[in-house]
Formats: sequence, C-alpha cells, structure tokens
Amino acid sequence: MENSLLLQPMVALILWTMLIWLWMYVTRIPAMNKAKIDSANLVGGKGGDLDELLPPEVQWKAHNYNHLLTEPTLFYAICVVLILSGQDYGLNLTIAWVYVGLRVLHSLVQVTINRVLFRFMLFSLSSLCIIALAIHAAIAVFH
Amino acid sequence: MDIAILAPAAVLIVWSLIMLFWMAATRFPAMAKSGADLAKAPPGGRGSDLEGVIPDKVNWKSHNYTHLMEQPTLFYATVVILALANAGHGLNLYLAWAYAVIRIIHSIWQATVNLVNVRFMLFIASTVCLLIMATNALWATLF
Repeated sequence: MENSLLLQPMVALILWTMLIWLWMYVTRIPAMNKAKIDSANLVGGKGGDLDELLPPEVQWKAHNYNHLLTEPTLFYAICVVLILSGQDYGLNLTIAWVYVGLRVLHSLVQVTINRVLFRFMLFSLSSLCIIALAIHAAIAVFH
Repeated sequence: MDIAILAPAAVLIVWSLIMLFWMAATRFPAMAKSGADLAKAPPGGRGSDLEGVIPDKVNWKSHNYTHLMEQPTLFYATVVILALANAGHGLNLYLAWAYAVIRIIHSIWQATVNLVNVRFMLFIASTVCLLIMATNALWATLF
C-alpha cells in the first residue's frame, strides 16, 4: 500500500513534541543545578513539584510538553481513522497540516512569552481543526 | 501492513491497566486507613488531592499511571504509523519492544524504590527508542 500522506503531519507533530522534550531538559537541568536540588538522592517527586522551585519560564517548557500529550492524542487517533476509512486526502490533509502548524506556534508562544490570550486563541483555532476532522471522520464511518 | 509491531503496543496498554489496578489496590486501603471516605468525598475531588493525605509510596503508583498516559500516547501513534507505512519490522520492531520493556521497568521502579536519578535514566533510555522510531517514521512517510 502506498503510504498515506496524512502520516506526514502525524510524524511532524510527534517529532515536534520530542523537540520540546529536549528544550525542557536543556533548560530544566541547569535550572535544577542552580536551584541546588540534590537530584542524586531525590526520592519520589513529580515534574510538577518543580513548579515551586524553578523559574516559571523553565517550567513553561514542561507545561507545553504535557500539553502536547493531551489534545494531540485525539489528533493521532482521528488521523488513523481518516486513513483507514480512505478520507486521508484533500481538505482533511490540509486541515491536519494547519493543526500541526498551529500547535507549533502554540508551543512557541507558551515556552517564550506565554501570553495567555495568544495561547488561548491558538489553542481554540487548533481545536476547531480537531472538531472539523472529527466531524469528517464521523461522516466517513457512520454514513 | 506490519502487524508484528502492534504487539509491543498491546503489551504496554495491558501493562498500563495493570498499573491502574495496582494503584487502586493500594490506594483504597490507604484511604480507608487515613479516614478518607469515598462516599463522603466533596464534589470535584481529584486523585491528586490525595497528595500528603495518604503515604507518598501509595501515590507513586498513581504518578506512574498518569505518566503512562503521557509519552506512550506518542509511542502508540508512532507504532501505528510504522505499521501502516510497512516499516514495522527490523530495528523499529526491536525498538518498540525495548520501549515497552523499559517503560515496564520504569513503572516498577517508580512504584517501589523511586530514586529519581534512576527513573530519569530509564525515561531517557525509553525516549531515545521513541526518538529513533519517530525519525524512522518520518523517513518512511515523507520520502
């Protein structure tokens, strides 16, 4: 079977997520050292505990990484549905790339200036893409 | 389609559900012991409200269950992409198994000893597997 083009935006967003993962550690580990956290003997604890210990801009990377593992999981599932139901071209393909583009912008806003209004607008727009894809997927499988 | 690579994904899904039961099996007795009563819990209470109420070690199971709902979602998407793109064999298949096995070790560690530096190393090791799989997925779909 010829590879579906819809696999491309899926992979792009996965790799973007891993890039944010890297960005998180590149800023977090030096910040932990600076905050004199004794990581060698640390027991238990969660990433979220660092919200009280590290500068907010450092934690913003982690917040975005977590965010990328919430709604995009629906995106991956919908893309697979669209591929398996043969709706993986044209408008759906465009919407999927727009979703990825908006999520990349959303990440860049959240990890840098993090103005909530901009973040919210980008998140709302990207959610509209999910809604459109989900409706198309529903039509494809129920119709 | 490469069906073989779906097996490690199925294993990790089953493992996640085992963690769910481990969490429940330790959390409910701990709640009973601390005097927290599910029937009288205030509306809107969440699992994380139990931080500091029941022993940390009990909450560690829940931390790990939450963790399993994060990065592994990317793993599932990557596995499906590799399967659909006929790239779910050879190195990718070994990496998928390695990812599932390391995540299981990571779970057991976080739920029991939970020394953070070892947990971190296990997380890095599994992430490297995913990173290579995701890059291979990019090659398999983009060109």
